[in-house]
Amino acid sequence: MRRIARYKLLLAACVAWACLWLPPLRSMLESDMTLHMTVQLPLLTAIGVMLAMVLRPHEPCWFADADWLGIPGVLLAIFTTSLWMLPRMLDLALGNVSIDLLKFASLPLLAGLPLGLSWPRVPALGRAFLWANLISMLATMGGLYLGAPQRLCAYYRLDQQSAAGTALVAIAIVLGLAWFIVLFIGAPSPAKPRSADKSRINERFGWGASHTFPRS
Amino acid sequence: MTTQAIGTSRGGIDAGIAVRAYLAVTGIVLLLMMLFGFTMRLAQAQWINIEPNTFYMILTMHGSGMVGITGLSGAAVMWYFVRRHVPVSTGVFVANLVFFLVGALLILGSGFIGGFAGAWTFLYPLPEHSGGLWSANAAAFYMLGLLVIGVGFLLLHLDVLRGIISVYGGLGAGLGAKQAFGLAPEKDGPPPAVAAATMASISNIVGIVIGAVVLVLMLVTLYVPSFTFNTLLAKNLIYYFGHTFINVTIYMAVIAVYEILPMHTHRAWKTNRAFYLAWVLSTLMVLTVYPHHLLMDFAMPTWMLIAGQIISWVSGLPVLLVTAFGALTNVYRSGIKWSVAAGLVFIGVAGWAIGVIPAIADGTVIVNSVMHNTQWVPGHFHTYLLLGMVAMMLGFMAYIGGGRAPSRLGPAGLWTFLIGGAIFVLAFLAGGAASVPRRYAVHLPGWLPYDRVGVIGAGLVVIGTSLLVTRFFLALRSPMSGDGIR
Repeated sequence: MRRIARYKLLLAACVAWACLWLPPLRSMLESDMTLHMTVQLPLLTAIGVMLAMVLRPHEPCWFADADWLGIPGVLLAIFTTSLWMLPRMLDLALGNVSIDLLKFASLPLLAGLPLGLSWPRVPALGRAFLWANLISMLATMGGLYLGAPQRLCAYYRLDQQSAAGTALVAIAIVLGLAWFIVLFIGAPSPAKPRSADKSRINERFGWGASHTFPRS
Repeated sequence: MTTQAIGTSRGGIDAGIAVRAYLAVTGIVLLLMMLFGFTMRLAQAQWINIEPNTFYMILTMHGSGMVGITGLSGAAVMWYFVRRHVPVSTGVFVANLVFFLVGALLILGSGFIGGFAGAWTFLYPLPEHSGGLWSANAAAFYMLGLLVIGVGFLLLHLDVLRGIISVYGGLGAGLGAKQAFGLAPEKDGPPPAVAAATMASISNIVGIVIGAVVLVLMLVTLYVPSFTFNTLLAKNLIYYFGHTFINVTIYMAVIAVYEILPMHTHRAWKTNRAFYLAWVLSTLMVLTVYPHHLLMDFAMPTWMLIAGQIISWVSGLPVLLVTAFGALTNVYRSGIKWSVAAGLVFIGVAGWAIGVIPAIADGTVIVNSVMHNTQWVPGHFHTYLLLGMVAMMLGFMAYIGGGRAPSRLGPAGLWTFLIGGAIFVLAFLAGGAASVPRRYAVHLPGWLPYDRVGVIGAGLVVIGTSLLVTRFFLALRSPMSGDGIR
């Protein structure tokens, strides 16, 4: 990415961050549990991903080496997002401005940024597993919100909680379908592997000369 | 015709040893689960006496164990043959085996130590209402075991699809969707093993993800019973997962037919538009047919029951027809020299085809309302699983262990297995036709003749399988046999 494009992206991230913090938008998004969970939190994480795209060229080698297969970064992102999926944390953020500030800082910097930096280092299988796990966990969280016998957040009504649960299940289904369609259509390229492709694949998957690529 | 391609992955794990380890575990667990089944039939026949609680615990272990081990052995068949066409990871393959063993230990512990007896269906809210027969921890161990096994299979199927996408570009191309709809020449379509592996992996990933949702939700309700959710929805999710998983075992095992028969007939397995269309349609239908398990649930939406019935009539047919027709044409006047492996995979196709007929009958609402809780159901599913899927898997085992195994063990095992299997499933079907209920620990005197014939069949199945598994273990001493043809 060219330097000017990076500056534009940085500017866009900062503007989005500020807009989300400012009262009109913040009040609107936090007034409804569904909007809070399915719009504000993902947008804050997305800001971190944008920051990662800006910072990636300046990433020190030792940092990239330490982030082996992207595991530390992805784990940090998972722990941070898991924390903000807890109803207790949503309540605290609504009732205490310093906790809300923590949310606005932690989701971009401890979830989106490490996720954006680490994602390209995660092997294809790991990325697929994380996608499958995300879809499964979103539906599970949705099911728990739907099945909860009482309000889990002091600031949200029971009907808002049910709506949030339904939204999470719906997002899980949409994500699953979208993922499947993208993989089903796939790349418009090759139909059958040629022998040259076979050696390329061997190389790509780290199989040395000792591995006999299957003959078809 | 293909040749063996067994190599060492970058992790240094030998693929040949990994496949043999899968089959060794399969042989041991399969025999153990068969002995559980034999014990239950003996108890129903009143030739031995076991407590009903123990019977239902054994029923739970037998059901879960058989579903798991057929899944594991089907995965071995799929992985072994699909790796001839796409790059897949041996490390992930071995990881699936490790996950399976850990999960199996948790499940066996939940039953034999914790007394969990909620059946493989673990229908909500039964696991949390045991009436004092088992604890929440025992039920949790059972569900954790299923989750751990699911993680392994999820990784394996994702890795297979990753390999297919890396070579063919997308899942549609791996399935032969363009060839199915006449948008690309048939000759450019994927090999049968790739099309089948694509279908099996897509279906199982969807099923496992949905199964994980219901399992985690039920784990929460075990310890926080005030959390409740719709019992019918839970049943739908469980059957979506369970039906898909057990159905896919057949679609993975059928790859053995596509690969082993042509080696014996020296004729390539023909793929054409009908073949690819069958696999595309089966992918859609396997993912939508599960409501036929809920035909007796009056609260289900009517449209789902109608869809379940109609799809159930046609779901298995496309792939079954192209496979059965393909097998017959492949063998007919080919001058085939039969081996144990070829014989077993051929029997597998026949068992699958025959078993589908009583299954389709049971998939009809008016029949289902009378037959569903009778032995007709274990009759039909044992036909296509025991004489279909397991026969194909034993054929694969014979193919891998062909080597220097004693020559008489194989034919003796094959015929004992076949005759015993036929007696065993016919006893179930006849019992079902006479309205003998299924899943009852204690049987009335009028039902005993069916049970006693069933015991004889089950005993022969155990003997036949033991011979075939012994043959495999004896052959383990020899190096990987290459094409395994004897």
